[in-house]
Amino acid sequence: MKRIGILAAFVFALAFAGGDQLVVAYQGGAVTLDPHLRNETTTLSWQHHIFETPFFFDVKGNVVPVLARSIENTDPNTWVLKIKSGVKFHDGSTMTAEDVAFSITRAATHEKSQMKGYVGKVIEAKAVDAETVVIKTKVPDPLLPAHLDHAAVIPKAYLDKVGEEGFQKHPIGTGPYKFVEWLNADHLTLERFEDYWGPKPDFAKVLLKNIPQGATRVAGLLSGEIDIAEKVLPQDFARVERSGRAVVKQTPGVRIIYVAMDYWREYGSEGLPEGAKNPFLDPAARKAVYMAIDAEAIVAKIMGGAATVAQQFLAPVHEGYSPKIKRFPYDPEGARKILEGLGYGDQDGDGWLELPTKDGGRVPFELRIDAPNDRYLNDAQIAQAMASMLRKVGIKASVNAVPKKVFFPNMTKGHFTLYMAGWGSMDSINTMLSMFHSKDPEGLYGRFNRQRYHNPKVDALIEKAAQTFDPAERDRILQQAMEIAMLEDVAYIPLHYENVIAGVAKGVEFAPRPDEYLHAFEAKKQ
Amino acid sequence: MLRYLFVRTAQTAFAVFTVATLIFLGLQLTGDPMENLAPQDMSEAQVEELRRAYGLDRPVHVQYLRFMAHLARGDLGISFLSGEPALGLILERFPTTLKLVTTALVIAIAFGLPMGVAAAIRADTMSDRVLRFLSVLGISAPTFWIGIMLILIFSVNLGWLPSSGLSSWKHYLMPAFTLSLYRIALFLRMVRSTMLDVLNQDFIRTARAKGLAERVVVYKHALRNALIPFITVAGLQFGHLMAGAVVTEKIFAIPGMNRLALDALYSDDRPVIIAFIIVVAVLFAVVNLLVDLLYAVIDPRVRYA
Repeated sequence: MKRIGILAAFVFALAFAGGDQLVVAYQGGAVTLDPHLRNETTTLSWQHHIFETPFFFDVKGNVVPVLARSIENTDPNTWVLKIKSGVKFHDGSTMTAEDVAFSITRAATHEKSQMKGYVGKVIEAKAVDAETVVIKTKVPDPLLPAHLDHAAVIPKAYLDKVGEEGFQKHPIGTGPYKFVEWLNADHLTLERFEDYWGPKPDFAKVLLKNIPQGATRVAGLLSGEIDIAEKVLPQDFARVERSGRAVVKQTPGVRIIYVAMDYWREYGSEGLPEGAKNPFLDPAARKAVYMAIDAEAIVAKIMGGAATVAQQFLAPVHEGYSPKIKRFPYDPEGARKILEGLGYGDQDGDGWLELPTKDGGRVPFELRIDAPNDRYLNDAQIAQAMASMLRKVGIKASVNAVPKKVFFPNMTKGHFTLYMAGWGSMDSINTMLSMFHSKDPEGLYGRFNRQRYHNPKVDALIEKAAQTFDPAERDRILQQAMEIAMLEDVAYIPLHYENVIAGVAKGVEFAPRPDEYLHAFEAKKQ
Repeated sequence: MLRYLFVRTAQTAFAVFTVATLIFLGLQLTGDPMENLAPQDMSEAQVEELRRAYGLDRPVHVQYLRFMAHLARGDLGISFLSGEPALGLILERFPTTLKLVTTALVIAIAFGLPMGVAAAIRADTMSDRVLRFLSVLGISAPTFWIGIMLILIFSVNLGWLPSSGLSSWKHYLMPAFTLSLYRIALFLRMVRSTMLDVLNQDFIRTARAKGLAERVVVYKHALRNALIPFITVAGLQFGHLMAGAVVTEKIFAIPGMNRLALDALYSDDRPVIIAFIIVVAVLFAVVNLLVDLLYAVIDPRVRYA
C-alpha cells in the first residue's frame, strides 16, 4: 500500500513537472494591470499576456499587425485603421472598432497615462464602422503604427461597468492568456484563453513570479521549480550549463551602454581640475578618448561575454542603423598622440598629460568619470576599467560611481564632464530626438541630451526624418544623421549592447527578445 | 487602566502625525519623484501633466495640508505606480510578513530562551563555552549568506524545500530559520547574562537556603525576574523584524510588505513609502503597549493607573 502511495506521488510529480504549467521568474513584477498606467518593461511584459495592441514589434525589429488588419494614412494627420474581425475578449464579447478607438483615446489622454510618449500626438480616435477606426494626430506622426504598440485594447463596456479599480482586480483583454489571480508586483496566474483568435500557446497555465534575487532565480531553475528565469547573471552561467537541467540563452539587446562628454562648457566642467579648459569641445579629443577605450576587453573580461560590442549608438535591429559606421579601432598610442597634438602634452615630465588653465598655467589632466553603480550590469566595474584604460594614455582618471538615485538627477542637471549611462528604445526617432537633437527651450527635444551635443545639420535631418512617411527614405535620413553624429562629431562613445539573458529549463524552447520583453506565450514545449 | 489605554492611544496618534510630517518633509528633499517615475520617452509637457494628475505641481505647503487632511481620515493616497490605494497595498502584504516574523520569533524563543538558561546554570563549563561560541557565529553570519547557503543546500542539492514564495508550511522553514538564527544567538546571550545577575542576588540565596528545589529556584524565581528585560528585547526584535525582514523577503521572493516598501523607495512611490512607515509606527506602538502590559502580568509590583 505504502509503495503504491509513493508510486502515485512519483507519477503525480512527473505529470506536474512535465505538465502544462509554465513558471517564469522575472527580476521584477507588474505594478499595475491597468495597461495604460505604467510604461516599464516588466509591467508591460506581464500585461502582454492579457492585452494586445493594434501593432507590435517582432524579434527582428519589424512592426507587425496584431489586432490590426491594415493601416494607411489618407493625409499626414489622418490614419485609417482596419481591425481584425471576430476577435474575442476574455468575457466572450467581440472586440469592436469602438473598443479600439476608446482604448487609443484612453492611452493618449488619460491623466495618468504613461503612454503619451507614444500616442500623445493623437487628438482623436473614432470608430466609423464596425471595423474601421479613424485616427487624427496634432502633428504628422509617420511612426504611428509602431507607436500603437503602447495602446493596449480593452473592452469599453466592461471598464464602464466595473470602474478602474474593479478592472485592476479582474482585467480583461484579447490576449492569449486570461487572468486568474495576482498579487501586485509579486505574481500573476494565467490560464490559456481557448477562444484566442491566433495560434494558441503551448502551455495551458502560466505562473509569472517576481524573484528579485538572481541567485534565487537560478536556484529555482536548477531545482526544477522554474522553467524560464530572466536575467541570469554571468557568474552563474557555468553552474546552469553544468547542471544539465537548463541552458542559458542570450540575444543582443537594444540597450546600449555609452559614454557622453561635456559639449558646452569651456571652463568650469565639474569633472576636471579647477580652472582647466574642457578639452572635449573638440571632436578630435573625443575621438582620442574613444580610441583609448577597449570595448572588446570590457565585454570579454567584465561582462563575461553577456554583452555585444557596439559599433554605433543604434543596434542592428533599429531603423537608422548604418552599416557604414564602425568603431574607431582601439589604439592607446594613437590616442595619446592626438591629445599631444592638441597641446595637452606632458611638459613637466610627470607622465600625465596636461590641460591649460584660464590664467595661462597648466595642470595635470585629471578626469572624474561619473557612473551609476546599481543600474546596469557591472556598471561600476566598467567605469573602473575605463579609468585604467585612460590612465594608460596619460589621463589621470578617477571614478565616481554612485547609486542611480544620486546619479540621474545630477546627470539631468548637467553636472558631469564625462559619464557612462545606458539607453534602450525600439523607436529610433525617439532615440534621435531625445539623445542627439539639441535641447530646445520648450523641452520637446534633447530631453536626455544632457551633455548638450548640438549640430544644426543633425537637428535638421532628425526633424526631417520625424516627418517622413516613407520607411526607406526615413531610414536613409536617419542613417545620414547618425553617420555625421558618430563619425564626424563623435557625439557619444558606444560601448556595448547588454545581452538579454534567460535561463531555460530542459523541455522548454525559448529565446529572449532584443527589446527585453519576456512573454510566456512565446515558449514552446520541446 | 482604561485611562492608561486612552493616554497611550493619544500618544500613538500624536507619534503617527509627527512621523508622517517628518517623512513627508524628508521625501521633499529627495527631489522630484517624476524624475524616476516618468518613462524616458515622455516629453517635459507630458511629464508636467503627470505631476498635475498626482498633485505634485502644487506648492509644498498645499500638498502637506492636503496630505494631513487625508491622513486624518485614514486615507494615505493612491500609489503612483499601481493606481491603487497605498495603504491597501501594504495591508495586503502585512499578514505575510506577520506570519513569517511570528514563526521566526517563536523558533528564536523556543531555542534561545532554554539555551540561555542552560548556559547560565552551567556558567563557565564546557557546554556554556560551546553555546557562547555558537552564538557568536549566529550573531555574525550575514542573513544574505545564510539564506543563499540554505537555498543551495536544501533546494538545489537536496531538492527538499522550495526556494521561493510562501504558499505552504515547507516554504516557511528556510526563511524563518534565516531570520531566527541571529535572534536565537541574541536571546541566548541576553538570557544568560541576566540569569547570571539574578542568580547572584540575595533572594536566590534565601530561596536556596530555605531548601527549595534547584528547579524551582531557577525556573520560578530566577527566570521570572530575568524575563522582564527579555520581553522588552523580544518585543523590540518583533518590531525590527516586521520592518526589517527585507533581505530575507528579497532572497526568498516572499511577498511581504518590506519588499514592497523597498521597491517603492527605489521608484519614489511616495504614498506607498509613507503608508509603510505609518503602518510600522503604529505596529511599534502596539507592540510596546503589549510589552508594558505583559510586565504587569509577570511582575505583580508593576501597576498601571
